[in-house]
Amino acid sequence: MPKTSSRWLGLLFQVGAVLLALLFTSIILLLVGAKPFQAYERIIYGAFSDMGHISDVLVVWVPLVLVSAGLLITYSTGLWNIGIEGQIALGAIFTVWAMRLLQDSSIPPVLIILVGFLAGMLGGALWAALAGALRVFGGVNEIFGGLGLNFVSTALTIWLIFGPWKRPGVGSMSGTVPFDTSLWLPMVGGSRLSLWSLGLGILGIVVVYFILQGTYFGLRLKAVGKNPRAAFLMGIPTSSYMMLAFILCGVFAGLAGAVQVTGVYHRLIPSISSGYGFLGMLVAMLVNYQAIGAPFVAFLFAALNIGSIQLPIDLKLDSTLSGVLQGALVLFVLLMDGVRRRVLHKK
Amino acid sequence: MKVELQQIDKHFGSVHANDHITMTIPAGTIQGILGENGAGKSTLMKILSGFIQADSGVIKLDGKKVVIHTPDQAIHHGIGMLHQDPLDFPPMRVVDNLVVGSPGGLVPNKKEAIAALKKLQERFGFQIDPDAYVETLTVGERQQLEILRLLWLGARVLILDEPTTGISASQRLKLFDTLRKLAADGMTVIFVSHKLEEVEVLCHRIAVFQRGRMVGEAKPPYVTTKLVEMMFGKAITLDERAPCATCDPVLKVEHLEVEDTRLHICDINLEVCRGEVIGLAGMEGSGQRMFLRTLAGLTRPVGGKVIVHDKTLTGKTYASFRKAGVTYVPASRLEEGLISGLSLTEHFILAREQKGFIINRDAAVKETEENIDQFFIRGKPETHVEALSGGNQQRALLALQRQDVDVLLIEHPTRGLDIESSIWIWSKLKARCQLGATIVFISSDLEELLHYSDRILVFFGGKVSEPLDAGTTTVDQLGQLIGGLGMKS
Amino acid sequence: MQKRLWLIVSLLVIATMALTACTTPATPTATEAPVDETLTFGMLLVGPYNDHGYSEAHFVGGQYVEANVPNTKMVYVDKVNSADRPGTTPAQLAEELVAKGATVVIFNSDDMKDSAHEFAKAHPDIITIHASGDGAWKDGKDYQNIPNLSNVMGRMEYGKMMAGCAAALTTKTGQIGYLGPLINDETRRLASSAYLGAKYCWAKAGNDPAALKFKVTWIGFWFNIPGVTSDPTQVADDFYNSGFDVVISGIDTTEGLIEAGKMKAAGKEVWAIPYDYEKACQEGADVCLGVPYFNWGPAYAKYIKAIQAGTFTTGWEWLGPDWTNINNPDTSMVGFDKGAALSADASTALDSFIAELAGGLNLWTGPINLQDGTPLLADGVVASDLEVWYLPQLLEGMEGQSVSQ
Repeated sequence: MPKTSSRWLGLLFQVGAVLLALLFTSIILLLVGAKPFQAYERIIYGAFSDMGHISDVLVVWVPLVLVSAGLLITYSTGLWNIGIEGQIALGAIFTVWAMRLLQDSSIPPVLIILVGFLAGMLGGALWAALAGALRVFGGVNEIFGGLGLNFVSTALTIWLIFGPWKRPGVGSMSGTVPFDTSLWLPMVGGSRLSLWSLGLGILGIVVVYFILQGTYFGLRLKAVGKNPRAAFLMGIPTSSYMMLAFILCGVFAGLAGAVQVTGVYHRLIPSISSGYGFLGMLVAMLVNYQAIGAPFVAFLFAALNIGSIQLPIDLKLDSTLSGVLQGALVLFVLLMDGVRRRVLHKK
Repeated sequence: MKVELQQIDKHFGSVHANDHITMTIPAGTIQGILGENGAGKSTLMKILSGFIQADSGVIKLDGKKVVIHTPDQAIHHGIGMLHQDPLDFPPMRVVDNLVVGSPGGLVPNKKEAIAALKKLQERFGFQIDPDAYVETLTVGERQQLEILRLLWLGARVLILDEPTTGISASQRLKLFDTLRKLAADGMTVIFVSHKLEEVEVLCHRIAVFQRGRMVGEAKPPYVTTKLVEMMFGKAITLDERAPCATCDPVLKVEHLEVEDTRLHICDINLEVCRGEVIGLAGMEGSGQRMFLRTLAGLTRPVGGKVIVHDKTLTGKTYASFRKAGVTYVPASRLEEGLISGLSLTEHFILAREQKGFIINRDAAVKETEENIDQFFIRGKPETHVEALSGGNQQRALLALQRQDVDVLLIEHPTRGLDIESSIWIWSKLKARCQLGATIVFISSDLEELLHYSDRILVFFGGKVSEPLDAGTTTVDQLGQLIGGLGMKS
Repeated sequence: MQKRLWLIVSLLVIATMALTACTTPATPTATEAPVDETLTFGMLLVGPYNDHGYSEAHFVGGQYVEANVPNTKMVYVDKVNSADRPGTTPAQLAEELVAKGATVVIFNSDDMKDSAHEFAKAHPDIITIHASGDGAWKDGKDYQNIPNLSNVMGRMEYGKMMAGCAAALTTKTGQIGYLGPLINDETRRLASSAYLGAKYCWAKAGNDPAALKFKVTWIGFWFNIPGVTSDPTQVADDFYNSGFDVVISGIDTTEGLIEAGKMKAAGKEVWAIPYDYEKACQEGADVCLGVPYFNWGPAYAKYIKAIQAGTFTTGWEWLGPDWTNINNPDTSMVGFDKGAALSADASTALDSFIAELAGGLNLWTGPINLQDGTPLLADGVVASDLEVWYLPQLLEGMEGQSVSQ
């Protein structure tokens, strides 16, 4: 069976890609005078040594997997939703907004958090719809539109923190006044992890998997993504589907923003998205836009993020090394995929 | 240059695309390669021109063994290939297109290129404006440009893969003249086609391919029936025409006025009956495509009305046209018709009515299997459409059209298909006519137009002829109309 | 899809391989919990440990403790801010330091306030020192009542007055720029102190106080974050190009000084006064009038010793210079290191100003009005710590934003 052998060959290439990425990162480490294995050991230690670290990894995993889930939808539709960072931020802003409005009322905290989440979804969706409208109706490429909207969202966040929502008398980069602990997502004893947000992350990726694999809607999105002209001639309203893809992705980004607010920072901070939007794009690329791999790769990336905190503490290395490794992984997997295609098909 | 192919062998998965093919082509020869779709002609040519590599076998040029891994190396050895789909860069100017693939310094010498282009054009009687944008050229002109480009790059072996697809009759004659001149100069020409009459007229010798093997060679005088037998392993005749029209107007066009940047056509009037087949003839770019797209609601007319089933749909969206029972089947199968990367099953799911929210995969696979059987598609439900051969893609595209659709607008229904596939496609289309469907189609194949249409509209120079009765029109008459003779002003 | 599963499996395999490969050689990590009586203290630095500014001053303070208090060891994380370490919180990073054995954790920035309080509450066994905060100040506006929380801050107001004085004694145009970070109580009182010092020395040198121009431009944070803050390099250039010939830096990094150096090289007569870090002048000695700096070492050494001895009590401390020698590295919390560009005359005048301060001169004495004209202090009234700490606006006579908008 030639198919099986090509699958094994494919695996070989992917292992090769991972090894190359590690090699590449190791060379960089050697160049800065560090010991690569020691660095990797520290990263693994920092991510998995105890429940506390694992729970911290999961805290990062939740928003990352939500963002990746959303991006799988836009990727499937052939859209590069680079505005995802802004959509996370707007989700966070809307969540904070709703919760600020309600925090002094007599509404039960659970309900306020719930409203916060709904508002976050709405915020992300609106911001995504804006990018979508620019693309679909304005003919502005979503990459440029998204970049622009990211800038606007950053400016908006900063303006809110230093302006209308500033702490009494003080504007601070540390963000707005934290919410009362009753408005925090309940955390598992002693950790920063909330089972609610963990459940949400799992639910999110399952829903997206289901949408893309099993529904007419998902299949049409894919059709639009792979060939909009043919999809249109087949009777799929491509503009509406592109808009829907943006909006749905925005909902997930908004959820991630809401999780950042209710579960992690409990307030609005300047970089509330924590770069998860761009990291999510790497995740989606690495899994070749297949939902099944996303939770695992997101977990790996989250582990790298958390594990690399050890680098500056123990080895005086910059923790952006994890970013180098993440980027290198994506780069080499894409590269090896190209090489594999050349070798296998030559077509 | 003498080309020798020895024991060329190539597998694509389980498909044996080239089965130990050996052939020798002397310099100055026009070698015909004849065979139905999927016979392995294109594969062999792609191997020769470096696009793919053979699993085994030897290529010799003028007796010297060469290794060709890329098209670049091929052209370095003097082998140039013209593809079925022109590979140029449409948003570029002609001269830039010429320069872009050329070796040499970082700063291309445009002046030199223009001079060379002019010289070559004079020799072959081409008239392409070096400053024109490639996208404004017709398929025929693009082909001429591609030939010039290859010659300019130093090609001494020219491979043409189905070059007459989509070009006008006069352009075809010019092409044949050019090829003859080139051969007379000692150039080796390899002409790949499934069109018997072309190969017979043009080629000094013919090799016939069937299912990956070279099954025979022939030299003039050719015996057509023998060639057909070699191609298919059996003799084939065209179906008799069976008109099925009793007039019950389904589609009406009143004083329709369409225009694009180059053309303006006024006052088209037409009434199409239930079950009728209307052929649209004309040189490429004479407005027939614009007209067909207007009938589908894809292009908005400047004036006049389009009426489907007594409903005036002028200015409505494509979706409303579809709702009224109109469908549009584009010519470029992989660009507009099918979706690369999706399987046949997925295509059928998309094309059929949505039932609920969740897809019933098993039912969809079953339906796909039925269609595969019914439409003789060589593929499996999970096969991605881009892996199908051209004929199978066209059959799949046809199978996808819903049964409740009763106005089929088709661009080039059999372009690039072999005779057997064409006949089969038309038998299916005619069957739909009998069930009450109406067909309007574009073709540049005069035989097809005359044989399958009930009436024909000829487009020329911004004008449209009165509908001609296909039964009483001859190929010559139609050819003259397309060329602009006898068109009423 | 199947293919990708393989990818994931392979990634995990690699990860496992790396793990085993690394654990077997058993690299002796020096980070395990100490078995001896070494006291490990952790430090969270808002900027890079080598920023030649606020964070480096803290870092040096930590090194001072290690060198001067036996059986102590520092662990630290720098760049503790949400832009540099996205997805983390200072509390989370503090816990990492605790995992390295820290029993005392120092949060060095006002911006870590929420996290410091959260951390202190969650870890009652860890002594949490929040530098520049007020959560442990019983009289303060933000008293938290967390038993293990302590605050410490230097009375940099004096350092800033000296900086203002040096600027006023040097300026030829009578225009002094103040490169401000973000707007809060602390930064307002520091900018205002610089102004008070400048005005005092300006008038003392026989000039008209109304002719002194003192302008504050806020960049938005303690250091440049591209895309988020204004670019301090740009702000400094703007000052120098619009007639301001001395720029006093209120931010943690040295852009003001660097730009002055460039301007000077281009023939302009300009000066700068950096901030925070004793050796900051090194980056532009020929334009540096001096630097007001923090000397955290003695204070932290005092605390750590007390903790070792079990005599430490938490609270809020606002420590001033050692007036016998403001630059004594073992005693003075706040110092001013004169720069090479300060003229001999100005140096003498500055010395006498410092002597006046040491002798009891308090510039925070009325009449002082706020920027909008509302009286802050009536004639002869001396400001309380609360009034200075929580200064609501800049002062009358200063240009620039008083509250963030």
